[in-house]
Amino acid sequence: MTTTTDTGLARARRGLAPGGPGRPARNRASRLSSQTTKTYFWLILPSVLLLLLINGYPLVYAAIQATHNGSLIEAGDFVGFANFTEVLASAAFWKAVQFTIVFTIVGVFGSWSVGLGLALLLRTRIPARGFFKVLLLLPWVVPIVVSSTSWNWLVASPGSPTSALFNALGLGTPLFLADPTLAQVTVCVFKVWISFPFMMMMSASALTSVDNTVYEAASMDGATRWQQFTGITLPLTARSTYISWILMTIFCVNDFPTIYLLTGGGPVDATTSLVVYAYRKVFQDFQTGPGVAIAFLMTLTLVIISTILYRQIRKSSVE
Amino acid sequence: MSTVLHTHAEPAVVSTAGPRKRRTVSEADLRGRWWRFALILAITAVVLVPIFAVVVLAFTPAAASTTTGLTFENFASVFDKTLAGTWLGNSLMVTMATVVVSVAVAAPAGYVLSRGRSKAVSGYSLLLFVMQSLPIITSIVPLFILFANLGLADNLLGITIVYVASTMAVATWMMAAYFDSIPASLEEASWIDGCSVFGSFTKVVLRNSLPGVLSTAIFAFLLAWNDYLVAIVFLRSNEVFTLPVGVQSFFQQNATDWGSVMALAVVMMLPPIIVFAALNKYFSVGGIGGSLAGR
Repeated sequence: MTTTTDTGLARARRGLAPGGPGRPARNRASRLSSQTTKTYFWLILPSVLLLLLINGYPLVYAAIQATHNGSLIEAGDFVGFANFTEVLASAAFWKAVQFTIVFTIVGVFGSWSVGLGLALLLRTRIPARGFFKVLLLLPWVVPIVVSSTSWNWLVASPGSPTSALFNALGLGTPLFLADPTLAQVTVCVFKVWISFPFMMMMSASALTSVDNTVYEAASMDGATRWQQFTGITLPLTARSTYISWILMTIFCVNDFPTIYLLTGGGPVDATTSLVVYAYRKVFQDFQTGPGVAIAFLMTLTLVIISTILYRQIRKSSVE
Repeated sequence: MSTVLHTHAEPAVVSTAGPRKRRTVSEADLRGRWWRFALILAITAVVLVPIFAVVVLAFTPAAASTTTGLTFENFASVFDKTLAGTWLGNSLMVTMATVVVSVAVAAPAGYVLSRGRSKAVSGYSLLLFVMQSLPIITSIVPLFILFANLGLADNLLGITIVYVASTMAVATWMMAAYFDSIPASLEEASWIDGCSVFGSFTKVVLRNSLPGVLSTAIFAFLLAWNDYLVAIVFLRSNEVFTLPVGVQSFFQQNATDWGSVMALAVVMMLPPIIVFAALNKYFSVGGIGGSLAGR
């Protein structure tokens, strides 16, 4: 305790004001270091333990499984990289890779453009704006089990308004979930519907940091709306945009329920993404080795990509 | 210091906004406002169609039924036919436990992330980011085997542990982002008064962090309440199902009995909507970005 008082007194004698907001100053941190470090250690310990046990341990175990030919119950024999070569040689795997890429690109940029558009619209003066802001978050708040059930009814049930609408337009009855291409489109639209509120929230919070006077100055100089958007809005919110793209990429690649609950990966595997493919290998074909190998390949790719991007963001925030 | 600066800055902002408000609104301005209102109203209506559909179907009597108009029949029958009551209880229990434990673990970790400046702390931040990007499918098989050996598979405690772990990264960033906004001078004052680092964290920092805590709690609530993948892998018997698994299994068996399915769906979507409607002003995901980039 005496160290604390000393520091306080010493700072007072030197006429130092208490530190500003956020991070403490370095010199104080070094004086208090031993006591503080100890407390920090205990404060962060539960989180570290949980992370090691629930995330770290399974990863090691998964590496073992990926190199064995076991099942859910038995370990099996060591087969080296046989699971990986088997997976990489199969056409179904590359088909899943393809759909995962399409799904992710549409998911990220679709939800971002819708979310940003709505965030910009809701920034202007509109009656009952707060009400709309909350209502538009509902697709993200409602459980996917519920929304997928509802979408199932809307697009695939004969009595639904969607089929009535398409009939009335003379387009017949499109098989939204039974036709491979249409099913892919439907799943992607469903993903955008679920995810745009998250992007809307990210964009809205980034937009609050942009000073309105910048726009006023720009419009006085005769900048058009589009010029203001590309010249002011996009660059000033760039960092937050990159972060939201990264997060959404991770969400899309790892997304299981959105696809599985709507189509189950079908028809004829058209909407099988890597996660769905891995899930089916493990829990329906009981091929743990190849299933985990797929998950492992995904993990490796995502870890590499996210580590690089994470460094990139940190670098851009230091500048 | 900064608080003082802040209160000075506030009136300045108000005074520049004041005259603009008082300026008479031009005709074109007003018309534009109503056009945008119509536009957003139309968009919202289209976006919410799937949610309206759930509600309408839930209150529409079944084809075989003699009642007309709106009815609660579907709710009565679904609670009668299935273990919906038990599922609802399970979901509530698991979610509440996840919320409490995840805030209790993430808040101290977030504090260290916010105030600590060592290499180890920023290394941990990177580790959280990597863990967040791992597909849960990688860890779920090993976890299932581990938990089965410990008697935690097909068990509510088991999935609660997994949920808490899966909230960790985002919950810690959210807490750290909020703690960043609390001036360090507050703690320093309490240290001078002889408070320990831990004491000032609980008594000074945490006490001033209600919005941050609520935001994290809402996030944990949504994750635990809405999860499907962990529940479908871990839970095997009807009595321990949570609502997502319950709704899905019921839907697969009664795919044409839309009224009952949707009644159960309404029961499931009500709690998150209520929580969000009540606490939405505290919820912010924007902080995550700053928190991610700032360390």
